[in-house]
Amino acid sequence: MESVVDGSVFTGAQETEKKNKVALPLLGKIQQAQRSQADLTAVERFARVHEQQSKSSGSPASSTQQPPAQARYYRNLIPLTKPGAGEQYAFEVDLDVCTGCKACVTACHRMNGLEDGEAWRSVGLLHGGTSSEPVQQTVTTACHHCLDPACMNGCPVGAYEKSSETGIVKHLDDQCIGCQYCMLTCPYEVPQFSERKGIVRKCDMCSDRLAEGEAPACVQACPNEAISIRVVSTQSVLEDAQGDSFLPGAPSPGITAPTTTYKTNKPQPKNLLPADFFSVRPAHTHRPLVIMLVLTQLSVGAFCVQSLSAAFGPLHAWVALGTGLLALAASVLHLGRPQYAFRAFIGLRTSWLSREIIAFGMFAPLAAAYALTLWKPEWFGDIPFAAALLGPELGFAVAGVGLLGVFCSVMLYHVTRRVFWSAGRTAFRFYMTAAVLGIATTVCTTAITAAWTSSEASAAALIRQLGAALMLATAIKLAGDATLFLHLRDKQFGDLKRSAVLMTGELWRWTFFRFAAGAIGGVLVPGALLLSATPTQWPPVVAASAASLVFCLIGEIFERSLFFAAVSAPRMPGTIGSAAR
Amino acid sequence: MSSSILERAKTLLRDPSGVLTQDLVRSPGGFGLGQVPTKLKPDAVTTSVCGFCSTGCGLDIHLREGRAISLSPATDYPVNLGIACPKGWEALTPLESEDRATAPLMRDARGKLAETDWETAIQTFVDRMKAIQSEHGKDSVAFISTGQIPSEEMALLGALAKFGMGMVHGDGNTRQCMATAVVAYKQAFGFDAPPYTYKDFEESDVLVFVGANPCIAHPIMWERVCKNQRNPKIIVIDPRRTETAMAAALHVPLRPKSDLRLFYGLANLLIEREWIDREFIEAHTLGFEEFRRHVARFTLETTAQDTGIAAEQLEQLASAIHQGQRVSFWWTMGVNQSHEGVRVAQSIINLALITGNIGKPGTGANSITGQCNAMGSRLFSNTTNLLGGHDFTNVAHRNKIADVLGIDATVIPDRNSWAYDQIMEGVHRGTIKGLWIIATNTAHSWINQADVPDLLGKLDFLVVQDMYRNTETAEHADLVLPAAGWAEKDGTFINSERRIGLIKKVARAPGDALADFHIFKLIAEAWGCGAMFERWESPEAVFEILKSVSAGQPCDITGIEGYEMLESHRGIQWPLPKGQPVKPRSERRLFANGRFFHADGKARFLFEEPQALPEPTSRRYPFLLLTGRGSSSQWHTQTRTSKSAVLRKLYAEEPYVEISPDDADRLGIQPHSWVTVRSPRGSLKARAFVTRVVRPGQVFVPMHYAKTNQLTFPAFDPYSRQPAYKAASVSVEPLGRA
Repeated sequence: MESVVDGSVFTGAQETEKKNKVALPLLGKIQQAQRSQADLTAVERFARVHEQQSKSSGSPASSTQQPPAQARYYRNLIPLTKPGAGEQYAFEVDLDVCTGCKACVTACHRMNGLEDGEAWRSVGLLHGGTSSEPVQQTVTTACHHCLDPACMNGCPVGAYEKSSETGIVKHLDDQCIGCQYCMLTCPYEVPQFSERKGIVRKCDMCSDRLAEGEAPACVQACPNEAISIRVVSTQSVLEDAQGDSFLPGAPSPGITAPTTTYKTNKPQPKNLLPADFFSVRPAHTHRPLVIMLVLTQLSVGAFCVQSLSAAFGPLHAWVALGTGLLALAASVLHLGRPQYAFRAFIGLRTSWLSREIIAFGMFAPLAAAYALTLWKPEWFGDIPFAAALLGPELGFAVAGVGLLGVFCSVMLYHVTRRVFWSAGRTAFRFYMTAAVLGIATTVCTTAITAAWTSSEASAAALIRQLGAALMLATAIKLAGDATLFLHLRDKQFGDLKRSAVLMTGELWRWTFFRFAAGAIGGVLVPGALLLSATPTQWPPVVAASAASLVFCLIGEIFERSLFFAAVSAPRMPGTIGSAAR
Repeated sequence: MSSSILERAKTLLRDPSGVLTQDLVRSPGGFGLGQVPTKLKPDAVTTSVCGFCSTGCGLDIHLREGRAISLSPATDYPVNLGIACPKGWEALTPLESEDRATAPLMRDARGKLAETDWETAIQTFVDRMKAIQSEHGKDSVAFISTGQIPSEEMALLGALAKFGMGMVHGDGNTRQCMATAVVAYKQAFGFDAPPYTYKDFEESDVLVFVGANPCIAHPIMWERVCKNQRNPKIIVIDPRRTETAMAAALHVPLRPKSDLRLFYGLANLLIEREWIDREFIEAHTLGFEEFRRHVARFTLETTAQDTGIAAEQLEQLASAIHQGQRVSFWWTMGVNQSHEGVRVAQSIINLALITGNIGKPGTGANSITGQCNAMGSRLFSNTTNLLGGHDFTNVAHRNKIADVLGIDATVIPDRNSWAYDQIMEGVHRGTIKGLWIIATNTAHSWINQADVPDLLGKLDFLVVQDMYRNTETAEHADLVLPAAGWAEKDGTFINSERRIGLIKKVARAPGDALADFHIFKLIAEAWGCGAMFERWESPEAVFEILKSVSAGQPCDITGIEGYEMLESHRGIQWPLPKGQPVKPRSERRLFANGRFFHADGKARFLFEEPQALPEPTSRRYPFLLLTGRGSSSQWHTQTRTSKSAVLRKLYAEEPYVEISPDDADRLGIQPHSWVTVRSPRGSLKARAFVTRVVRPGQVFVPMHYAKTNQLTFPAFDPYSRQPAYKAASVSVEPLGRA
């Protein structure tokens, strides 16, 4: 026993000693491994070899003359000659060999040094057919370098140009203010916004590669040679745009005349649908735009009501003006690069956004002048010509320019070709918002003014009339908004049905708040006011009218959030699980 | 001065070329690259083989001051000809992830993984493993290796574990993808020898793809098919109308797992019609007569009935094989991952043998491998085979290897290792107490995965060695060893066509992460067997050892001078015995002389009765679940591919299940609605993708979602022990609208 104990003690001591011996070299070995890990020299040995090889066949400096090694594989995929008159470059996609590997997307990302997750090409999927002949077809897509580019037409700052020589639609990154309107006007979801840079960017068909006889990244990268660059005649593009045979599931080519050709020799079944056809997901809410739209409309509505009667005083004008200015401030928040917002007039010739900005740009100083004339008429009385401002005409002018501004807002969304945003629907929405909020604001300012000045009978009558008008306007607005739900019964899963499905499905809470707040603020509260407004008790009337305004405002903000979130946009076929942007 | 103010005022209004524009400017990259983004212009370029799949594409790594800044596919690499799939293009991105393991992690007293230093980590590893071995025996500690690390590291791991640490059981995740092909070839040809070269894609008249979807899983191989100038007839045998099936002239949507009956029926048809190569059979094969008798009862009618394929289509198939001058057969996981995969693979080999379609350009019975170094694992991982394709149970082989390595032959185990499933079973029974998992994600990928957390919990000590600290498996570990990844170390991979290619160290590993090679060496030192590996001082030194162990084997590579030769030749295919000349960029196939690796030089016919599905559908679980690749931008358990924002854009983040419109209508499942897919083992919430791509009665779920393998049924091929991932019975029910 003893010897065993001794033995174990002995072994233990020996082991500790051994451990120490092992531990010390181990630390050394670890440090050695770490040094070796940090050392990249082994690579240089081979890199040099590689470099020498490329030098022997022409030094890197002269490699501009030497065609790139890959050229032998893509030589036939780019045109030999530049486009002539009435011609331009265009993508051609051979659907029969596009098999969905998506190398084009990653090559675009890497060969162009794009940001994380950024790529100017994407791949969608169409599927359908019959049980015995099922069909799936992957579709690679990028900018179509359209004859009539909606991105360029919509841009308020001239940040797009279409080359007269090549037809390539190029985005001028430093010109962009980040308004993202092109993302709404382009039917193909081509421009992409970079939060970090505050601008959008897009495909330029690798124009400087093409200029040197190199193929664009996606053309080089396709293993099956499915993508090529061809010279097309603008006349034939226009002719093709008359029909609807651009690509199944894609937006109508009539909108922008896209130049890409999708060719196939296979029969395409009628039931070919994008893989994401039934995927309905909320779109971006654009909160600053929600605030901007609702508040400009409130402001315009309030000035319109004011222009109808001299009964409304300076307080009302100041509130309307203040809201309007707040709205314009909010709109600037929407820009990726607000410091360049002043460029926004450049696109006046084609862009409804420029027009909207100019209209509201005129509305604000006019409205300010108007408010000032109501507040301090004496300042103007003595100045020659300025006295003319004191008549009702200035009020009409403010209302008129405001209504014009709202019209520009309507058109701005209408031209995006989203059914949910069509001129009729949008005009109804926007002008009725102006009516509801304009009246609700007027009720509130009238009550406050009356409480302040202790004017009695005339104010009470006015509030009654306004309350009734508010109830009528709200009823029309809510009923109008609710007509969308009729589309839930549509046979086709069309754009309006998608919006209705979203509003009753994933966005049902917003829909509930929209209708509940609208009904409380525009019907219940004014109804109660109608029944009980007595000139002797102004404080509760003020409180009630303020509550009415707040609820109406909440209702309209939810309405406008749904306007953005529930819209279904035309787009190229997506993949399984791809989200609507 | 005033003019510059004017200029500035002008650019305020119109600015065609500021910093944002500069960000995208491209300029000639040199090195034959064409234009590159100016901000990423390289000062040197070197080629490295891609670290995802077994295609083994050459990638030109763009370097600046020795470090990788970008990459592009290598034009002069004879595999990919300047093309890469999305994973290749994004190969550098996963290295930058926040999820990288940057220091060893050890489970602390509160059960949390906490950072520690290498000394403590290595010492703990050694102390714990030794303690387990002294209590439960040497074979109570096992390892699970991988097809994702270079051959040199695999060999070092296998040798360290078995010869140095005394382990008996070690297997790799290659069991999950290639084991079937290995056994099929070994039995039929006498060695695990895929006979083809990628040039065969270009030189075939008829290409038959079985359970393979190269358009998505191996896009670069499909590139080679597209380069075929012989106007080939492409036939796809797959239950689903895959992307590849769409591109085929003939799609044979057979009933799942009726493939063995199909190929026996085809063989019978070819033999009956005398559409066979008697001369070849006579000269180069053994056992044809027995095979003929075996397939005789698989008549056209019964085959049509069993496979669900019309007799006319079967005849079409047979006559296409007959009419083709050069017919090649290609299979992937649809065959390998089957309860009778070895026999199915051999039924394909048999077709090639009876029609003489082997050894000639554009022919062959060709298994497309899975992982980047699956074949390195097959030859050099020291798991299933003794190093270099040798046999543990063969004393001559043990002596040979002991001799080459300069070690005592008695340290080489004289019995075979357990396969992956048997190791897992050993954990379950409590005979395996310590487990070392290297570069694989068992807790995601193992079949019937729902059991895995419990199983791993039973271990006394679990070590996970990985690039990432938070893989599903690492989260169960007692010790996490941070490994350098592809591009952060040197070594060689062997691709599907037996091409050995170089990978290079072109990036710094983050934090304290070390190449697996260094980790193995440190463990060897601390274990006390460092002396045994004195010659294994660098990957390049180990490559010399691998050459030596290959001498005289079918995979002899003694003719490769070293890494420089691999570089200048753009990879070299085995075999290359000493003295055999080889041209750079050459593409070589096996069996041109009709001699196989069995002692008599003849190939064998192997066949067996088809077996029933291990888990047939039932009233409760009426659907057959198929699993497979979701998209080309996803790799296996997604530990790497999910780290790239661009790759993430290219696949569905939410799990989805493909279901036919007939079944969806019947069950009241709306397109894109949420459904529950349930098997007797687990359930999965998925979006319904209602599509005719999948046939009624079948559903398909991509394998990349963490829960997919909670559904799969643990059946295994009896010869290869490869799990059968592609057949389980499930139910599908609507979950209500989301």
